[in-house]
Amino acid sequence: MFNKKTAINAFRLLVLVACAGPALWLGWAWTQAELGANPAEAVVHFTGRFGLGLLLATIALGPAFRLTGWVGFMAARRQMGLWAFVWLCGHALAWMGLDQYWDWPWIWQDLWGLEYVRYGVAGLLLLVPLVLTSFRAAQQAMGKVAWQWLHRLVYVSATLGVAHFWILTRADYRDVTLFAIVLAALVAFRLGCVAVDRRW
Amino acid sequence: MARYRYPKIPESEVTPEPLYRARRKFLRQSAGLAVAAAAPGLLIKPAAAWQGGLDAVPESDLSTDESLTSLDDITSYNNFYELGTRKRDPSDWAHQLQTDPWTLSIEGEVNKPGKLDLDDVIRPDELEERIYRLRCVEAWSMVIPWVGFELRKLLERHEPTSRAKYVVFESIYDPDNLRGQRRDIIDWPYREGLRMDEAMHPLTLLAVGLYGKPMPNQNGAPIRLVVPWKYGFKSIKSIVRIRLQEEQPMSAWEEKSPEEYGFYANVNPHVDHPRWSQARERRIGESGRRETLMFNGYEDEVAHLYEGMDLEKYF
Repeated sequence: MFNKKTAINAFRLLVLVACAGPALWLGWAWTQAELGANPAEAVVHFTGRFGLGLLLATIALGPAFRLTGWVGFMAARRQMGLWAFVWLCGHALAWMGLDQYWDWPWIWQDLWGLEYVRYGVAGLLLLVPLVLTSFRAAQQAMGKVAWQWLHRLVYVSATLGVAHFWILTRADYRDVTLFAIVLAALVAFRLGCVAVDRRW
Repeated sequence: MARYRYPKIPESEVTPEPLYRARRKFLRQSAGLAVAAAAPGLLIKPAAAWQGGLDAVPESDLSTDESLTSLDDITSYNNFYELGTRKRDPSDWAHQLQTDPWTLSIEGEVNKPGKLDLDDVIRPDELEERIYRLRCVEAWSMVIPWVGFELRKLLERHEPTSRAKYVVFESIYDPDNLRGQRRDIIDWPYREGLRMDEAMHPLTLLAVGLYGKPMPNQNGAPIRLVVPWKYGFKSIKSIVRIRLQEEQPMSAWEEKSPEEYGFYANVNPHVDHPRWSQARERRIGESGRRETLMFNGYEDEVAHLYEGMDLEKYF
């Protein structure tokens, strides 16, 4: 029968497949030359969008738990957050390797010359302490309150990510607007919770 | 027994008006097609003579001998927002561009204005193959074998007046068919402009084909501008109007974002765009990056046009 435990494990497996599967697809598409005339750009765009989407999805697991009470959402949260980090690192590596060909002087110049690159790098670096403290022992060592405050940096990181996407958009803001709306809804939900609970 | 009542039709079952009208249009067009199929010799216009000869035009001395970008890449990686903003949209939605019949209007400061059928614009003896580098403002580039003729030949036929200082170009405006024009990404129709001396420069081409074939829709069929020393967005596609005037015009991108897109838009590795460093470019189909050349490598031919101008200011 389908008991509570199996449902949670099934959801965790689903998250695993949903987060790792696209990497297999991307690798396959790369080797089969299915990514069009500018495959490097396609990889940079896909990893960035998917990583930022996963980051927002990770934040959304909290509200999903609060609204439904189902613990499966929380059980998958660390895994999904780590996947978001992996994808966003992939995004940065694809930019440095496939787009800039590891040309460090140029990478350095773009880093300081282009505003959106700085926003993206800052957003990614902010995730590093969250990854380093993602395991249970770190949470216990830090204490729950400090750990929660630290991990609220994820909102800052996601905001930098959306700003990065917004600035580099050339004319068609449809996709980035969708990301911005989701982010705004998540922030609004969080603030709504603070208002209802009367505590941070 | 209860009296029969007609069931009230829910709103969701009613055909929306645009769809209803589209069906009318479809029926009309189908009827036209049926007639056309029945009498091909009578109704279907034969392909114009110039179209068949595009693979036999003379090669130009102004061509580069760099290796060509593949036809597949040239026709599947396009910026043509009339058909959508993703690179693949123009090829996926190319059928939405109706190019036959096509009228090109030449107006403003000319002694001989006119509305010309495309076949009257194109003179087969003026056509030649020009292999040019194309440098997009997004820091990628291609090498494309265009078939076309010098813009100045068309302008000269219409006799510009002494007040003609600038040339304005306008693209097709057809939001009923072109999906991209149903969203106000830019202020349609697309407009571009050149200074008169730029327009009369022998490098400035009106292209009607590439790789020896008529222009693919996604590349700006049936007739487009090619100005190889400027960023690609200056090379306006699917032109319906050419206007000569005294005042400097505002191009569509310049109007949308004047700090990013200047009127001149000459390829210049020393002036960066806020989104892209312009010092280097990715040649499509190649790995690695190459240095971007001043005026896209056409410095010898065009630098004199901008002598004494501050190219940081007039970017």
